[in-house]
Amino acid sequence: MNEKVKAKVKELLASGRIKGFWGLRTMQGNIGPFLFSSPDDLDELVVGDRERPGDTRYPLNKLLVNLARCYPEEVFGVLVRGCDERGLKTLYSWNQLNPEKVVPVGIACPQELAEACECLKPFPDEFVAGEKAEGSEFVSVANVESLSLESRLEHWLDQFAKCIKCYGCRDICPVCFCKECTLEKDDFIHTGDLPPENPIFHLTRAVHMAGRCIDCGLCNEACPADIPLRTLYKKVADIIDEEFHYRPGYGDPKEKSPLNILGEAPKH
Amino acid sequence: MTTKRIAVMKQLLAFTGIEQDRLQLEWVSAAEGPKFAQAITEFTNLIKALGPSRLKVAA
Repeated sequence: MNEKVKAKVKELLASGRIKGFWGLRTMQGNIGPFLFSSPDDLDELVVGDRERPGDTRYPLNKLLVNLARCYPEEVFGVLVRGCDERGLKTLYSWNQLNPEKVVPVGIACPQELAEACECLKPFPDEFVAGEKAEGSEFVSVANVESLSLESRLEHWLDQFAKCIKCYGCRDICPVCFCKECTLEKDDFIHTGDLPPENPIFHLTRAVHMAGRCIDCGLCNEACPADIPLRTLYKKVADIIDEEFHYRPGYGDPKEKSPLNILGEAPKH
Repeated sequence: MTTKRIAVMKQLLAFTGIEQDRLQLEWVSAAEGPKFAQAITEFTNLIKALGPSRLKVAA
């Protein structure tokens, strides 16, 4: 997998098609994000499989947004899995990135990872390495839905009570790009308290994920308290799909989020 | 836009275990006093029927 990606990146850098490539590399035994800029300097490039496939991921899209803001005229490449590609499309749709300045280099996730993520589409539209795996259903959402209303509240309050309000979920989120964040506004949510005002804190973030969340699961991985945020946002994505037939990152990036335009009324 | 947001929010509340009837949306103009009174009376009756929120009991 690494070699195929390296070959592709080498070609892109050598031909001058891209100025740099946001990927991952091994550094002193660890894997971290790195901006590759020379075709002769790709030895340490990896796709983030440390012990298990995809166990080391970073919000490379987010780094790309920051870089593109500094160098709006340059074209950059970026390593993408299925989820990252959905992130790119969503960032195009919210005018945070210019699709003409981005060259994604795709990899497909193995079945094991697709199932662990309950990913609907564990591969980008085009990819240079990996085999196309089957998409997986949202089992975690169905599990919560099988509970009574009372048990659901108990479940989520128990989960939210673990929150240490580190803002890790927001900080790692590739589609959290607002300059001002409601989660830090005392008028909306009491700041400074621990645990945060719940369920308001997490429901607020969940609402802000509506029409944006691309189900990459980085929030869930970043959470030091292991709050199943991904399940919550998967449900939000399901609601948006049911009401408006829209799933961020799956369609044409020119299509806007239903919560970004007036559009049609909800179905229910 | 508000109609959309409320539709999403109601379902999100149900998923997290809060009765979705606790959230209601009504358009009332400043010239529609009786309509406002009626909407609030209906909402109050609805909330009374639902009883205290378990969220409040939990806190």
